[in-house]
Amino acid sequence: MNTAASIDSAAASAVQPQVIRVYVWDLPVRLTHWLLTGSIVVLAITGFYIGHPFITAPDPAGQEFVMGTVLAIHFFAAIVFSLSELARIVWMFVGNKYARWNQMIPVSKARWRSAWEWLKFYVLFRPVTPRFVGHNPLAGMTYMLVYAVCLLSALTGYAIFSVSAGIGSPMQVFSVLVPLFGGLQTARWIHHLCMWLLVLFVIHHVSCALLVARAAKNAAIDSMFSGYRFVRPEDLEAEEAEE
Amino acid sequence: MAASESWLVEELERRGVSRREFVGFCGVMASIFAMPRTVGARIAQAIEAADKPTLVWLEFQDCAGNTESFLRAGRPTTADIVLDTLSIDYHETIMAAAGHRAEEALEGVVSQKPGGYIAVVEGSIPTGANGAYCTIGGRSAEQIAKEVCGGAAATIAIGTCAAFGGLPAAAPNPTGALSVADAVPGLKNLINLPACPANAENLAAVIVYFLTFNRWPPVDRYRRPLFAYGKAIHDNCERRAHYDAGQFVENWGDEAHRRGYCLYKMGCKGPVTFQNCPRVGWNEGTNWPVGCGHPCLGCAEPDFWDKMTPFYSHIAGVPGFGVHATADKIGIWAAAGVAAAYAIGGLVQYGRRMVHAKAEEEKGGQS
Repeated sequence: MNTAASIDSAAASAVQPQVIRVYVWDLPVRLTHWLLTGSIVVLAITGFYIGHPFITAPDPAGQEFVMGTVLAIHFFAAIVFSLSELARIVWMFVGNKYARWNQMIPVSKARWRSAWEWLKFYVLFRPVTPRFVGHNPLAGMTYMLVYAVCLLSALTGYAIFSVSAGIGSPMQVFSVLVPLFGGLQTARWIHHLCMWLLVLFVIHHVSCALLVARAAKNAAIDSMFSGYRFVRPEDLEAEEAEE
Repeated sequence: MAASESWLVEELERRGVSRREFVGFCGVMASIFAMPRTVGARIAQAIEAADKPTLVWLEFQDCAGNTESFLRAGRPTTADIVLDTLSIDYHETIMAAAGHRAEEALEGVVSQKPGGYIAVVEGSIPTGANGAYCTIGGRSAEQIAKEVCGGAAATIAIGTCAAFGGLPAAAPNPTGALSVADAVPGLKNLINLPACPANAENLAAVIVYFLTFNRWPPVDRYRRPLFAYGKAIHDNCERRAHYDAGQFVENWGDEAHRRGYCLYKMGCKGPVTFQNCPRVGWNEGTNWPVGCGHPCLGCAEPDFWDKMTPFYSHIAGVPGFGVHATADKIGIWAAAGVAAAYAIGGLVQYGRRMVHAKAEEEKGGQS
């Protein structure tokens, strides 16, 4: 595993003398993050319309295509969403050490201990965050669940789509999932609940990012654009010692 | 081929159905199977040449709705006559014999024509209490089904109860009701014709297909014939244009309802239900539920009573949150709750951070 942490001490010292600038989020991580964000927003809005069509088109029917257009947007956004999700899962096995699967599934005792510290930070409103460089272990575990919800949401969506897919469409293969989800109507229900779980996650994620960015003063929000995060040298040393 | 000696031709003549009408019917059957119209001639030949098929109709846990559909009143069509002129040796609702004599008729078919009759099963088969919930002539439905269907050339499970367990099998399934496929495992040549009730046109069509090709038509994973259950109702619906346009009925009897807009928001299960109702219709093609302004209930799907309910909602609520809790109400409150928790938590954390920073500052000043 390569250490992708490139240290730019000159830039770091200009901001704050005690921290160093570390490249944590490589390009595929940032790209899939924002593609997922954008597609989730589009999918939730269009999906909510598909579940509860709140715009009623005027007559005649032949001149309007509101639901048809919304469905088409939903389907195209679903392609972006699924491919981003897949790319991110692949990147868990080829990306840098902060993108790896073991950042999501804690296998070391140190990460479990750290997850417990983070839980205390959130629940007890502690003023100082535990030490961390990439994902904090608790957040990593949350993302694992979120990937599972995303996957479930994509698969239920494709299962629902498959039965009305055109003759000869490769999408028809997803119809084998229908009995697995307990029938189409239940698949719809799961698909709908997944949307709400993702909406809840987005609120939680933005709030936590703001909270941690303020408490840790590490440019947590900016890092998802630039890839760089500010880290205390002792945190980086502690992390390297753990490995 | 001695067409003039055919049972069917005689029967049709006796009832005043012209040959032209009969050939027309065969053409319609070909089109129901999505085959070229020329196949109609082959169907006509095959039906005329076939031996008069023997049919036994078993009724178990049911409401006789499929019998009603099968015997439906109105103008007799060729389809009715094909069905009527089957040698129906046993059918409790319509047979003259009763009691032991009726049971003798059934035993006669099973013992004398093994592998030579078609069994039609209507209703689910209860297995609870050793089958005591449904017995005929002292034998349980399960015993009868195993014996009669086991010896049949082919079995048709008609209606959702026989095909999937239906209403009697709905939670909590007090009688342990099973479908024919589950109650008589390993049954060969079983075809399911679900719907509540099944459409008599489809029954006529599968029998005609069987007489023509001596096998069942291609089926889906639920053993439903693809010609009748291959497409979602939604994809063949006459109101589909209103769906795509975004024109929906919001309330019973509103302007949109009177104009025949899409019933999607009234809980129509057309998008998740497979049957040819929009094309074939009911009562000689007069109409069908969505055509007369009622949303599809999804009656042809497995476990429809459990899974398609509430019938007048797009999707079900969330169990454990009360009857009126929809996923969306819970979702909105949960979203508000999470946002509020973070807002309050953020403020508390901010306060504690200020206090902490001040303490650090003082510590720094002292040292």
